[in-house]
Amino acid sequence: MTERILGILQEAFTRILAASIQVTLPLTIIGFTLAMVIAMIMALVQYAKVPVLTQIARLYIWIFRGTPLLVQLFLAYFGLPKLGIVMDAFPCAVMVFALNEGAYCSETMRSALESVSEGQIEAGYCAGMNYLQIMWHVVLPQAFRTAFPPLSNSLISMLKDTSLAATITVADMFMAAQRVVGRTYEPLWVYIEVALVYLFFSTLLTILQRAGEKRLGFFTSKEVNTKKEVRA
Amino acid sequence: MSFFEVKDVKKTFGTNDVLLGIDLSVDKGDVIAVLGPSGSGKTTFLRCINFLEKATGGTMTFDGETFDLAHIKKKEIAKIRKKTGFVFQSYNLFLNKTALQNVMLGLTSGRKMKKEEAKKIAEEMLEKVGLKERMNYYPGQLSGGQQQRVAIARALATSPEIIYFDEPTSALDPELIGEVLSVMKQLASEGMTMLVVTHEINFARNVANKIVFMDGGHVLEAGPSKEFFENPKNARTKEFLNNITTQHET
Repeated sequence: MTERILGILQEAFTRILAASIQVTLPLTIIGFTLAMVIAMIMALVQYAKVPVLTQIARLYIWIFRGTPLLVQLFLAYFGLPKLGIVMDAFPCAVMVFALNEGAYCSETMRSALESVSEGQIEAGYCAGMNYLQIMWHVVLPQAFRTAFPPLSNSLISMLKDTSLAATITVADMFMAAQRVVGRTYEPLWVYIEVALVYLFFSTLLTILQRAGEKRLGFFTSKEVNTKKEVRA
Repeated sequence: MSFFEVKDVKKTFGTNDVLLGIDLSVDKGDVIAVLGPSGSGKTTFLRCINFLEKATGGTMTFDGETFDLAHIKKKEIAKIRKKTGFVFQSYNLFLNKTALQNVMLGLTSGRKMKKEEAKKIAEEMLEKVGLKERMNYYPGQLSGGQQQRVAIARALATSPEIIYFDEPTSALDPELIGEVLSVMKQLASEGMTMLVVTHEINFARNVANKIVFMDGGHVLEAGPSKEFFENPKNARTKEFLNNITTQHET
């Protein structure tokens, strides 16, 4: 590796890092937070079988899961202005990522809600609780525990997918790398570098996921280490 | 005078008539065993009178108030449920709560009781079923028999006027049945009013004071336990008891 390349990598690194802090991470965090809100609403509406709203939720999921993310980005950024809806690239990307991810995550959440056994809900009623109390104390905590690993998965996946936003002029990490490549013509090294930065952030999220799962626990008390101990 | 009475309880699933008009009256302190072959409608009957299934017809009188089972309001259901307890075949403990929290939740959440007060009652109830030292365990860390005893403690905690048991020992290993039955026997001796759907013929014979025998959605025979076992009147009842005794001998 020549000194020239090292120099390019060093310069690119500062630009990539700056873009990650200014664009990629905010896009991921804001987009995913909104996605969680959308997903929660869509999942609860379906779980509670609210008429009309359930059909709207299904339609929304059908459309956003059934079309490519890249097409959605282009449609929102280049297509909607034809209807008079003009958005800056960043908020446009946030909106598309939130809607796209929300559709996937609502299915994760719905299945997690439905995995809580009907018997526990009946037991809640028999104990004198009402629907909301049962949801709050019994269903949601268990569903959250079940949904946590797949939702973490979605978050990691979304962090990487934000690189698509570069195609609608969002100046994210990937665009920063592309610009350096355009100027220096060193695609191999610079793209490896940007890949490693994505890998770094994904690894960070994986570690956070592990810590989160540990914290949430598997509904086991600290007094008991194994099931065997209890049975013995 | 019966404090609890149901008349002509009917239930239809689609075109399938499961209950064809069940009558039952319960006095304070009664332990009533509901016997009958599988598919006779015993469990459906129990679920209908605690509104886990909506009955197609019938009335219920509870503490002097009479309700139409097919048109009962949510508020009335909630009111009646606060005076009853239910023990399921599959325990149905809240898996994200410890044994103690399982017993407390109906008090703190369902009845707005203060935490300290609820905890005191819950500990008392767990002690009664012999599980106080296991109160911080989660359901997944307890055996089936222990889980069912926690479920009984949970039903007891709200001081119900009657507890319904839906085949409480049917999902248990044979060696764990005894611990659950002995808790139920103890409750019976303390005067708890209990309506028990069961296949445990010895429990019915020795603990229950009344027997209801169901088959095909009807009550075929109902009466004092002693009379039922020693002098059954219905031909189907005789056959059923005969089959059970032969089974026990083999």
